[in-house]
Amino acid sequence: MKGQRLAPWLLMTPALAIAILFFGVPTLVMLRMSFNLHPDGRLYVPGFTLENYTSLVSDEMFLTALWTTVKLALMSSVFTVVIGYFFALLVWLKPARWRMLFIALAVCPLLISEISVIFGWWMFFPKNGLLSYALVSSGLLSDKISLMYTEFAAFVGLVYLSLPFCFFILLSIFDGIDRRLLESSADLGAAPLRTAYEVLLPLTRAGVLVAFAQSFIWTIGSYATPSALGPDTLWTIGYLIQEQMLGKHNWPKAAAFSMVVAAGVAVVMMLIRRLMVQKGAFHT
Amino acid sequence: MADSPALELQRVRRQFGSVVAVDDVSLAVGKGEFVTLLGPSGSGKTSTLRLIGGFETLDGGSISIDGRRVDHLPAYRRDTATIFQSGALFPHKTVGENIAYGLRMRGVAKAEIATRIGKALDIVRLSGYEQRFPAALSGGQKQRVALARSLVVEPAILLFDEPLSALDLSLRMQLRAEIKRLHDEIGFTAIFVTHDQGEAMAMSSRVAVMNRGAICQIDTPERVYEEPADEFVYTFIGESCCLPVQVRQGKAHDTESKALDLRLQQPLEDGAWRIYLRPYRLALGGQAAVAENRLTAQLAFVEFLGEFRRYHLRAGNLELFIDQRDGLSAQPGDRVEIGWASRDMRAYR
Repeated sequence: MKGQRLAPWLLMTPALAIAILFFGVPTLVMLRMSFNLHPDGRLYVPGFTLENYTSLVSDEMFLTALWTTVKLALMSSVFTVVIGYFFALLVWLKPARWRMLFIALAVCPLLISEISVIFGWWMFFPKNGLLSYALVSSGLLSDKISLMYTEFAAFVGLVYLSLPFCFFILLSIFDGIDRRLLESSADLGAAPLRTAYEVLLPLTRAGVLVAFAQSFIWTIGSYATPSALGPDTLWTIGYLIQEQMLGKHNWPKAAAFSMVVAAGVAVVMMLIRRLMVQKGAFHT
Repeated sequence: MADSPALELQRVRRQFGSVVAVDDVSLAVGKGEFVTLLGPSGSGKTSTLRLIGGFETLDGGSISIDGRRVDHLPAYRRDTATIFQSGALFPHKTVGENIAYGLRMRGVAKAEIATRIGKALDIVRLSGYEQRFPAALSGGQKQRVALARSLVVEPAILLFDEPLSALDLSLRMQLRAEIKRLHDEIGFTAIFVTHDQGEAMAMSSRVAVMNRGAICQIDTPERVYEEPADEFVYTFIGESCCLPVQVRQGKAHDTESKALDLRLQQPLEDGAWRIYLRPYRLALGGQAAVAENRLTAQLAFVEFLGEFRRYHLRAGNLELFIDQRDGLSAQPGDRVEIGWASRDMRAYR
C-alpha cells in the first residue's frame, strides 16, 4: 500500500526536481530580489522595501508598456490561433499524402533561431526589401514602401514565431476527432457552418484555449522580435526589463517588473484552465 | 410519383484515380424493402452506400429518392440517415442531445423533440439513458443510440454502414435480431452494407451480391443461395468445396493428371473445369450409391464440430469435405463413395 502511494511521486521526481531547480528556485530568487533596495549605482543593496512595486502604479511608462505588451500579445495570439486553426483544419481534412508536406512547412520556422528569423524580416520589410519589391513590381503600389520598424512588423514577427506551436497543438487535437462525426452531422441535416459550430468548435475548444495560452505566454515575454522589428516608441515590458537590468543597473526594479508579468500570466493561465474544465465533462 | 421506387440508382459510377470503385451500378429499392449490399472488402459496397448518402460525388449515373434526383444535393440536404460502423455519436453531447440533433436541424419544436426522444429511446430499449454521455455506453448501446438518432428523423432511406462489425458475436446476433424486429414493426426502407453473409441472409428482403464494383446478382436470400448467378456468388455465399479437374476424352483427371473415379450424369466437355459442391448436400457411403453423380475418394480425417462431423476426403490430389450429422463407420484411409444430385452441383470453366 505504502509503496503504491509512493510510486507516482518517485516517477515524478526527475521532472519535479528539474522544475523546482530551474524554474521554482530562480523565481523565488527573483521575488526576493524585487524587495531589495537600489539607493545608488550599485546593482542592488540587500534590504526590504515595497518601493519597487508601489512606484509601478504611478509609473506611466510602465503602465503604457504593460498595455502595449498585453495588446500586442492578445492581438497576435488571437490572430495566430485563427490562422493556426484553419491551417490545422486544412491538414486534417486533406488526404494523408499532403500531410507530410504541410508538417514539414510548419516545422521549418522552428529550425531557425529567433535572431535569424529577425534577419529574415530585415530583408523583407524595408523600402528595398522583398515585400516592397513584390508590391511595386506587381503594380499594387507605385512607390516603394517600408514596413520596417512598425507595430505591424512586430505583430507579424510575433505571429510567425508562435504559429508553428499553435499549429501542432491544434493538429493533435483535430487528429483525436473521428472524421465520421462531420459526416454524421451532415447526414442528420446540418450545413457545413452548422457542423462547425455544433461539432467542430466544441470538440476543439480545449485545444484552442491551450494554443491561445501558449501563444500568449510566448508573445508577452518575447523581447527580441518586437524590439528588433517594432518602432523605437514600441516599449514592451520585455524592453523595459532589459533597460532596467542592463541600462539602469536597477536589478530590484527589473525583478519587480518581471514578477508583475509572471503573476499576470499566471492569472491568465488560471482563467483559461477554468474555462477548459467547465465543459470537459464528456471526457470521462 | 406514387409508383416510383423509394430509391433508384441508374448506372452509378465512382472512380478513384484509375480504380473503378463503383462500376455502373443500377438498383431499384421499393418502399419498406430491406436490401443488403453484400461483398468482400473492396467490392464497392461501401462506396455505393456513401454515394447514396451524399458523402462521395458521382462520376456518372443518377440517384433518385422517391422519384426525385438527389445526386446534385449535398449530404445535409438528402433525406437519408446513416448508421456508421463506429456509431459516430457526438462525444460532447448526451444521448438525448445526440438523438435531438437531426430533429433540431429540421426545425422541430422543442416539446415535440422531447417526446420523440423518449419514443426513440423506448424503441431501442434504452429508456433512462437520455442524460448519459456516449463515453459511458457499451459498444452495443452506442449502436442502438446511433440507430435511434437515425430512426427519429424518419428518413426516406436508412443507410447501414457495417454497423455490427465492430461488435462481438453474441451482441451482433442480438442487435441484428433487433434491427430485423424494428424493420418489421416500423417498415423503414433500408440499405445495409455488410461482408457477413449470415447478416445479409437473416435480415434482408433482397441481397445484392457485389464484386469488383458491380452487382453480380440481386435477389431474395433464398434465391441467391439456391440459384447463384455465377461462380463468384456461389463461392461467396455459403460453404463450398471446389474440385479443379481436367477432362480429357470424357474422363476427369486431377491436377497431376491422375484419373479420378468420377461419374457424372451429364458428362463435361473436354477442358479444365471447376466443380463446386455444397458440403452438407453430399451423401456419403450407402446413400451415395443411388445418387445421380458419384465420386470415389479416400477418407483423410474427421473433425467433430458439435452438431455435425466434418469428413475431410481426398480424391487424387483434390481435397473436399462433407458435413454429416450421423456417424460413419469408415476409418481414415478407407475408400468411400460420395454422391450428389445434379441440382446441387455447379461446374464452371
